[in-house]
Amino acid sequence: MAKEVIMPKFGFTQEESEIIEWLKKEGETVEKGDPIATVSTDKLSMEVEAPERGILAGIRYKEGDVVLVTKIIATILQPGEVLPKKNAEPETQKIEKDEPSKPEKGIEVSATPVALHMLKDAGIDATTVQGSGAGGKITKADVKAYLSQKSTDRHGGKVAATPAARRAADEIDIDLTSIAGSGPLGRIQEKDVKAAASHIVQAIPPTIPAEAPRIPLKGMRRIIAEKMTCSAHEIPHLTLQMDIDMSDAVALREQVARQVTGKDIKFTYTALITQAAARALTRHPKLNSSLDGDEIVLLPCVHIGVAVAVEEGLMVPVVRDADKKGVYQLSNEIATLAVKARTNKLIPQDLEGATFTISNLGMYGIDRFTAIINPPQTGILAVGNIVEKFMPDAKRNPILKPIMTITLSADHRVVDGAEAAEFLQDIKTGLENAGATTV
Amino acid sequence: MEKEKLLEGELTPKDAKHLLYLMVLTRAFEENAEEMYALGKVHGTMHLSIGQEAIAAGASSAITRDDYLLNTHRGHGHFLAWGGDLNRMMAEFLGKENGYCRGRGGSMHIADIESNNLGANGIVGGNLPIAVGVGLSIKIRKTNQVVLTLFGDGAANEGAFHESLNMASIWNLPIIYLCENNLYAMSTPFDQAFKIEEISQRAVAYGIKGVTVDGNDVFAVHQAVREAAERARYGNGPTLIEAITYRWRGHSKSDRQAYRTREEVKEWMEKDPIPRFAKKIGVSDKEMEEIQERVKIDIQKAVEFAENSPEPDVSTILEGVYA
Amino acid sequence: MRELTYKDALHEALDQIMAEDDRVFLLGEDIGVYGGAFGVTGDLQEKYGKDRVVDTPISEAAITGACVGAALTGMHPVGEIMFSDFVTLSMEQLVLQASRIRFMFGGKATVPMVLRLPGGSGTGASGQHSGSYESWFIHVPGLKVVMPSTPYDAKGLLLAAIEDPNPVMFFEHKLLYRTKGPVPEEMYTIPIGKSQVVREGKDLTIIATSVMVMRSLEAAQKLAEEGIEVEIIDPRTLNPLDMEPIIASIIKTGKALVVHEAVKTGGFGAEVAGRIVESEAFAYLDAPIRRLAGLDMPIPYNRNLEYHAVPQVENIVEESRKIVQGVY
Repeated sequence: MAKEVIMPKFGFTQEESEIIEWLKKEGETVEKGDPIATVSTDKLSMEVEAPERGILAGIRYKEGDVVLVTKIIATILQPGEVLPKKNAEPETQKIEKDEPSKPEKGIEVSATPVALHMLKDAGIDATTVQGSGAGGKITKADVKAYLSQKSTDRHGGKVAATPAARRAADEIDIDLTSIAGSGPLGRIQEKDVKAAASHIVQAIPPTIPAEAPRIPLKGMRRIIAEKMTCSAHEIPHLTLQMDIDMSDAVALREQVARQVTGKDIKFTYTALITQAAARALTRHPKLNSSLDGDEIVLLPCVHIGVAVAVEEGLMVPVVRDADKKGVYQLSNEIATLAVKARTNKLIPQDLEGATFTISNLGMYGIDRFTAIINPPQTGILAVGNIVEKFMPDAKRNPILKPIMTITLSADHRVVDGAEAAEFLQDIKTGLENAGATTV
Repeated sequence: MEKEKLLEGELTPKDAKHLLYLMVLTRAFEENAEEMYALGKVHGTMHLSIGQEAIAAGASSAITRDDYLLNTHRGHGHFLAWGGDLNRMMAEFLGKENGYCRGRGGSMHIADIESNNLGANGIVGGNLPIAVGVGLSIKIRKTNQVVLTLFGDGAANEGAFHESLNMASIWNLPIIYLCENNLYAMSTPFDQAFKIEEISQRAVAYGIKGVTVDGNDVFAVHQAVREAAERARYGNGPTLIEAITYRWRGHSKSDRQAYRTREEVKEWMEKDPIPRFAKKIGVSDKEMEEIQERVKIDIQKAVEFAENSPEPDVSTILEGVYA
Repeated sequence: MRELTYKDALHEALDQIMAEDDRVFLLGEDIGVYGGAFGVTGDLQEKYGKDRVVDTPISEAAITGACVGAALTGMHPVGEIMFSDFVTLSMEQLVLQASRIRFMFGGKATVPMVLRLPGGSGTGASGQHSGSYESWFIHVPGLKVVMPSTPYDAKGLLLAAIEDPNPVMFFEHKLLYRTKGPVPEEMYTIPIGKSQVVREGKDLTIIATSVMVMRSLEAAQKLAEEGIEVEIIDPRTLNPLDMEPIIASIIKTGKALVVHEAVKTGGFGAEVAGRIVESEAFAYLDAPIRRLAGLDMPIPYNRNLEYHAVPQVENIVEESRKIVQGVY
């Protein structure tokens, strides 16, 4: 549905804003939250964000126009939509002021709307806050850091944190000074420490050279960031790992390769694993479910999302009814989807409706890893490389075997360890008896 | 120490001689206490009853050890007269573990619940409401006991005095209120604190018998307490006895006695109850010397006992706060 | 189970123990024919006679002292101070006698007495008949302080208090007398010095006493509708205070609110907060400990002013919400 973009009211007494610059052009695709225009209020230069993902259309005012707040300034269309006629032209507006409002010189400050709000709430003069965004724009993180610094400064360099936060920081071994507090006056709460700990691998080192290249977190990257953060925060992850003897699978693949040489028929391990997992899911329906409020919804079909790395991130095209398909068919479908993903040709339907995800980083030489669940799914299977390892044979003598480690992350609210283990065992049985697999 | 079998009937010469010994012992105990205080051996203060010994002797001999005693802060004499063990008393005085109160109470709070000695009380008039409870308990249990409740002239002006005497009188409780009027409430002279001539006049207000006696006369005190005990045991309620006496020493060790003249003190010292009683019961100077010699040895032994007694173990500090 | 009012539960406790134990007797003002200012003693004088249900003159010091003296000589007296406010007239006997006689006498005397103290506001009794004084007595070593909030606890704790060899201050709340709840017919005791979790929750620990337990429970229901689950702990005995369930709860919730009717300054809440901070729970606190208590003032007469002088359900809801939402 077409979504109107209005001139936001940023301040309590603000009546109008001047459009300084359109950051997107008509016809450009925008993500929800993308800045599409810069506008100015009395003191601040602000950004108008896209309220919806879609295509920018129907820009009503040109740069330099002063627009009353809450007036429609543009429209976001979904693919295939046309601009409603009423949205096509500027609304008539009377500005009953002698002079057009202009930003005052010398005290222009740029901040994101959230940051501005936070500044207002905390009663902080925006000019005292150092912005870290593009062009010195003040971001939410800047305000948090400022607040936390302020409370720190007040008490001779001490960090304001609750006892629980201090304990958590101690346990995780994380420096409190590196954490922004969300509590009153920037006090660090336990949840802040936990959030920081979950990002610890991406934590920015304390000294960043000014010239360091910066990549804006936007588009797909931003969606991934949000989704993963949300998942990591909200879903109690249960992770189980299992080693699988791939001797049978390797033998099968070699056999197929010999039989079908020259033909355009693929046989991938990913497909084999997808099939084993999909069939196991039919026997362990809770892993193929979705948590909806107080209810676990057991999903009727098994649609496997197969993660594919692309330039800006990760796409997860979906193989439908994977439990009912043979390995060749799965191999071909996955290959086709991967090509579409890398050439940006996936259509929305290719990406919808996965009930479970498989992420295989084996081809990158990763032996084992843990993946974050993609909600509303309940599980994700992280597949590692096949590695030759000396393993005990039936007589406990060492024998070289191709071993693959799979790691299941499951929503602990839905399943417990034993259930998840049985599911993994099921996959293991399937893969270790790949000779019996329906090709 | 002789603890059992004190007098039930009229005082015999033998009884009287024992009382004389107790009076001499009390004085010696307190003089020794002063000495020890001067030598820095005593931790706290003390309230000496020197000059008032006749009241303890007369009163304690008028009731039995089945009865109860509620003592005051100036109560060394009453404690000894009730039959308190000199050694354990001295040990308490020095704050030792085997003192009567394991060194927790000191001079002002010596008690021996086992012998119905319900303890000395550091609060002026503090034992008067408690007396009501003891009396009530006797009445409910129907044991025919009495409770001897001691207090000073100062306590008679506490509100508790009124509440206690009123309750005791309306319920005919077996309480003997024995007021030791030594003419000064700390520094306040009697006539500055009372409009009436005698504290015993207040008995009228409660519809009970009130009597004022010479507190330096063992027989007078003895007789008054005997009569009061009889009344109490037969369900005729409490009696208010006022025994006039004089404290030779200051209120406590810190008292400079600026409120009275040396002459006045001297005058009262001439009315010393000890030689007066000795003379009355026909004890010769030689006998008196013997008593004093015996007392000297007793005190010496008690001091030895107390000084050799163990200090309380700090690890037991909280013992006795709760049962 | 059979239901009784708080008042009747107390009456039953007294009746049952008096029938069984000759050492127990009652004394206080107008507890005989009148049946007690709030009707707790009721018909007991008729049943047990004037010697065991003793009507006293208006002499609080002597009532209290009489308890001390009787207890010292083997009885188990239960005194009633008509309004807990009047305990001010008993202070010397409680603080300098009852509480410390045992200690001063080297642990060789016992003072097994109970003083029943109806207190609290909400009845329009104004400035001298509505106070809450329990915290004064938790400051007196040698006294135990008990404050039941339910009919069940009232009976069990009163019987335990009478059995206890120490002087026990038994604070009843006038507004609770008519509240009803299950009470077993037989005699039973609730151990003195045991806190009780009266409601489980994960978001906030409320430590509430007396009538505030009821108000906190009501507040908890409203908060639950907003998705806030509070845990409520009723210490029941204020001294000796059982911190264990409180500490365990705060380790779980990370947040604590103490609610009592008595004025805040120098109150029981400060003691609880202090002990929390000293305990293992300190490292689990994720917000300041808050106290919701009576305003630092005498209880006013005007109905609305009286209402606002002490914590009410809506105050507990609001304060809880603020703590959980991280306002503090």
